[in-house]
Amino acid sequence: MTTETSSQLTSLFSNSTLNRIERMRLNPLRRLTNRSRGEHLAGKGGSSTDFADYRDYATGDDMRYVDWNIFARLRRPYIKQFLHEEELHVVIMVDASSSMLFDDKLLKARQLAAAFGIMGLLNVERVSVYGFHQREGKPWMLPPGTGRTRIRALLQFLEKLEGGGDVPVEQAIETMLRFHRGRGIAILLSDFLTFANLTRSMNLLFSSGLEVWGLQILGDSEISPNLEGDLRFVDSETGETLDITNAGELLSLYHEHRVWQEETLHQQCRSRNGRFTSINSSMTLENVLFDVLCRQGWVLR
Amino acid sequence: MNWPGFSFLFGAWYFLALIPLVVLYFLKLKRPRLEIPSLALWQSVVNDQRVNSPFQKFRRNLLLLLQLILLCLVILALMQPFISVGPETAEYLPVLIDCSASMSSLVEGSDKTRLDLAKERIEDLRGNGKIALFAFATAGRRLTDFTDDKQILSRALQKVQTTHRASKLDEVLRMVDAVGRTLPVHRVVVITDGNLKEQVDFELPFKLEVQRVDEGGDNLGITEMNARRSGPDSWDVFVRVAGSTSEPVNGELTLTQDGKVVGREPVAASADDSERIVFSVDSIESSLIQATLKSSGFDSLELDNTVWLNLPKTRPLRVRASSDLYSWQHALNVLPELDLDSGEQPSAPEYDLIVSDSEDLAGAAAPVIVYNGVLPEELQDLITVSDVDVDDTPVQIVDWVSTALLLRHVRLRDVQIGQKARFAEGADAQDLEERGFEILVHGAEGPLMLQRRRGLETEYYFLFHTDRSTLPYRVAFPILVTNVIESAMQQASLSEVVAASTGVLPALSVTPDREYVIQGPNGETDKVRSTVNGLLTGVQADVVGKYDITDAGELVASVGTGLLSPLETSLRSVVELQFAELNVTTNESQIIDTDRHLWWTLALLAFIFLLVEWWYFQRMKTGIVA
Repeated sequence: MTTETSSQLTSLFSNSTLNRIERMRLNPLRRLTNRSRGEHLAGKGGSSTDFADYRDYATGDDMRYVDWNIFARLRRPYIKQFLHEEELHVVIMVDASSSMLFDDKLLKARQLAAAFGIMGLLNVERVSVYGFHQREGKPWMLPPGTGRTRIRALLQFLEKLEGGGDVPVEQAIETMLRFHRGRGIAILLSDFLTFANLTRSMNLLFSSGLEVWGLQILGDSEISPNLEGDLRFVDSETGETLDITNAGELLSLYHEHRVWQEETLHQQCRSRNGRFTSINSSMTLENVLFDVLCRQGWVLR
Repeated sequence: MNWPGFSFLFGAWYFLALIPLVVLYFLKLKRPRLEIPSLALWQSVVNDQRVNSPFQKFRRNLLLLLQLILLCLVILALMQPFISVGPETAEYLPVLIDCSASMSSLVEGSDKTRLDLAKERIEDLRGNGKIALFAFATAGRRLTDFTDDKQILSRALQKVQTTHRASKLDEVLRMVDAVGRTLPVHRVVVITDGNLKEQVDFELPFKLEVQRVDEGGDNLGITEMNARRSGPDSWDVFVRVAGSTSEPVNGELTLTQDGKVVGREPVAASADDSERIVFSVDSIESSLIQATLKSSGFDSLELDNTVWLNLPKTRPLRVRASSDLYSWQHALNVLPELDLDSGEQPSAPEYDLIVSDSEDLAGAAAPVIVYNGVLPEELQDLITVSDVDVDDTPVQIVDWVSTALLLRHVRLRDVQIGQKARFAEGADAQDLEERGFEILVHGAEGPLMLQRRRGLETEYYFLFHTDRSTLPYRVAFPILVTNVIESAMQQASLSEVVAASTGVLPALSVTPDREYVIQGPNGETDKVRSTVNGLLTGVQADVVGKYDITDAGELVASVGTGLLSPLETSLRSVVELQFAELNVTTNESQIIDTDRHLWWTLALLAFIFLLVEWWYFQRMKTGIVA
């Protein structure tokens, strides 16, 4: 058992799962890419092998792109244009606040972050990871990087990511935007349990050229709490208390509000050409990655 | 609309208990702390308008509200709310409670007396007006002033006890009438068993509502007891036993003489058919006879089962006749058991009878005195007596009181009288009555014979001298003399004695001007001083039983009293009371309009709320269910 464990590349998931992840790639809705050369075809004028169009030669054009067969037949130089391959920046934000410590939500977030990161890196995307915990100070951050070689760094970063702290998700987004440059995908792995309205944060992400992918991870205690009687709730992040009388009577209202919040987040993401889904932390990673996210088109196999 | 009233308004102070209840509820409410990822969702839930709607707030503190309602209901029940109904909301309502002996009769199958039933009915009598309680038996007694304080009324009601007296409505009605002169009394309620005399000598100035309580059970009791001398050393004791039922009820009558049983007879009596039992008792010395009745079935009234009778010591009647009254001496001499003194001067200071032709008795005294040819000094200005002249019209006897003891069976129509008594000018019979004289024989121009009572003494005045008339030669004269002897013997209790009923003890001859201690049947004592004439009178005897009269610890006499009221023993309820001008129907079914009590309704509600709270508490498991 020990041998088997030590042979694992990461403690976040098994090698078999890793193998399946390596064959997957992210599926952004829009081509929010960087001009820097990458794997994503961004239009004519690129240097990929995919032919796009012809145009008249102009002074200064690279002679290597002249279609000499056409020139031989028509005695006029035409430049062959190929699709431009641009780089996609994948920003993975992991909410590591105290609220994520419940029901293994943070673990699930780390696993998913690793999976998304590996997908990005193996598809020659620039991948950066931010782990948010405290309101003050800098977030834990894995600087943008690309290439297979970044996988180990990615996994080490996420394995070491610890929970705790009181940062709300909206503040985490603003903090991330202070460090981030580039267009691409912003994957938010959080429970999105915040008092604030996330509209502004979503707008900031969208205006920064990031396609917002919100993945809400909730635990059983949040999706189907089994509460009765008079209780004093204590916020795990702020320590604030809230007295609830006859909680059992309020559960239906609670569910209404939770669903309403999901719908709101979904709408906010979709209106910004993003994605949103909510999963239960008790779901297996395989189930989430290879079933839920595939069916919803988040990833391609 | 009648607003509910409260019998115990001070109970409202208990509402202050709501404060500690609320305080303790919140202090004691120790909510389990539960750490959750974030309050965000729950805060939005709490901020939801639906949660903060009044109904939701009510639901959130349902347990507290249930407890508050429960406590309020209990306190309201404690305050004994009631809704006044009916017209007893009159401003002033006297309520008369019958406390006569018949009210102590037991209801068959229950240990409650009629008075208990009456009390229960009165306890429900509540209203916005002021109520005054009166108790009455033979006499009336005011228990409370007009008050709306239910506590005072309840306390007064608890103190009401039955008396061993017959009921009489007149006096208490007069008392209420006197009260009604200063206060607007329009209606009077009488709570009684209906065992009243049908005739009430009273003119009703207010509306009278007579409410009857339930009928008592079967009863058998002694209604009469007397003794008549049957020989020199023997007495015939008569005891009358009556019942209350239509069918005769059997019983056993036992007669004891100074504690020794001298007779025992079975008796059977019904309401319409009483039974008279005669016992022959030998008695030379004075003795105390006790008759005790024991019913074979249920006996509702215990009070009328025992009667006492004092038999006096037998002796010859001591008679003093003036030496000149030959006709009287002659008539008296032929009578037996008589010790006649006809000397010039009285040989003893006391006699049982004195027949005198002079107002001066030479120091002698007797309970019965017959003056012959004497005009009382007090009447000298009203009546003149003179001899009848030849030319005068003869004295004509117009009428006489044939029912008077002295004139029983005496016929005076043909008696010739040689002296004439005339009223003075302007004087009439009313003037005589004002001076304490009653005319027994009326002449055409004035009275011929008078009677005056002085305490226990009776004085008869022949205003003409019997020797100046043909009376001694008439048959009427020996009858008259016999009547006089009979009267004297009765007065001396030598011929007939009657058992004393409750009220006042019969007068006793004792040492003059001496203090005696009277110990009642229940051990109560009273000190009474005898008169200068040697009479012990006015001794109150409200309770049936034997009274011992002692002088310095030494027993002087024992006297017993009994109920001796045919009306009370019959337990009969009159249907209609006849007043001077109108009749008042007593009604058993028409009970007093009582207030509708709400305490039990509130208590029931409180119990239901308690059950709901228990169910709710059991259903709601406080804390987090695993």
